[in-house]
Amino acid sequence: MSNHSEAAFEKQPMWAGGRSPFNVSYGKLMMWIFLLSDAFTFSSLLIQYGAQRFSNVQTAVTTKWPDPASIFNHFPFMHGFHLPLLFVSVMTFILILSSVTMVLAVEAGHRNSKKEVQRYMFYTIIGGVAFLSCQAWEWATFIHEGARLDGNFFGITKEGYDHLHSVHFGSHFEWDKAVDRTNGPVPFAALFFIVTGFHGFHVFSGVVINVVMYIMTARGSFERRGHYEMIEKAGLYWHFVDLVWVFVFTFFYLI
Amino acid sequence: MEFYSKPGEYDAINYVPHTESHGTKELWKTFWLLLGITILDFVIYFVMGPSAVRNVIFIFFGLVKAYYIVGAFMHMKSEKVNLALSIIVPVVFVLGLIWVMLYEGGAISKSHTTHSAETHTEVHK
Repeated sequence: MSNHSEAAFEKQPMWAGGRSPFNVSYGKLMMWIFLLSDAFTFSSLLIQYGAQRFSNVQTAVTTKWPDPASIFNHFPFMHGFHLPLLFVSVMTFILILSSVTMVLAVEAGHRNSKKEVQRYMFYTIIGGVAFLSCQAWEWATFIHEGARLDGNFFGITKEGYDHLHSVHFGSHFEWDKAVDRTNGPVPFAALFFIVTGFHGFHVFSGVVINVVMYIMTARGSFERRGHYEMIEKAGLYWHFVDLVWVFVFTFFYLI
Repeated sequence: MEFYSKPGEYDAINYVPHTESHGTKELWKTFWLLLGITILDFVIYFVMGPSAVRNVIFIFFGLVKAYYIVGAFMHMKSEKVNLALSIIVPVVFVLGLIWVMLYEGGAISKSHTTHSAETHTEVHK
């Protein structure tokens, strides 16, 4: 390819064909478009959370929107302590760290360093599995506390508690068993399960993709191909998962 | 950027541009930045009481984090502007949905509050 023909080609209109106007591979462009559509899906879910929260009505007895700090305040092996936000911050840290190892794998791929790609992919997989384990623990704790897809007793007010106590249950009131689970805003628990579940499913599929990438790297598929572009595409997906978590973290735990 | 001297040489399906490593310095910088902002989130959560200002700060920090994840980790900064705009501009539609849905939610809350004030004895049915 001579300099002369390159210059001649440069003069051709960008969209006249014969080259990629975006200067990316077909697969990478499609990955970006998929991620855009996925961003819309997650936006819809998070906006639905906002709409439900805005439409929530606080009457004298029920349905105060629950304060996340009073619900997600557990930490493994620290039973009985009030530790809001701590566990989810650890989860965020794990995800950011696995994002870094992913991007280091991409960078190693640019240098065609098979050994390093393999090592960083391994770290990324470990990070993903660690995050999923944390989320499993988070869910288990939340379900144990009584949250269900179709019900949520978080958010009942003091007046509501007293009302139920005196009118419906008399002196045999037992908080755990007797409270009508619809007393808090039902969508609170439902949306938590759906949004973090959908995100967790993305993490899970990301881990599966990363395992496939790891195996392909180990078997030398990319080495034979001459480039590690597949690692970049898997990386885009993995970073997107991290990106979504930033907003899940903001809207479900911080606000 | 790679060019093909003849249009016939270009294979749209298998074309992969040549990429080079830009080192790991910027990546680690981004990592410390993301970690710092997350820690700041954590601190602000306990220092400030719940308020609209605090929510705005959290959303702003979220957007900053998103900028660095997309820009540095996903290499959007080094993509062509064409591509970056094609992916980022459509996200504007989300703003419309946010406005519409939150307005709708607020209206439901408002109408329901008015209604239950009139018939508050029925709340417990």
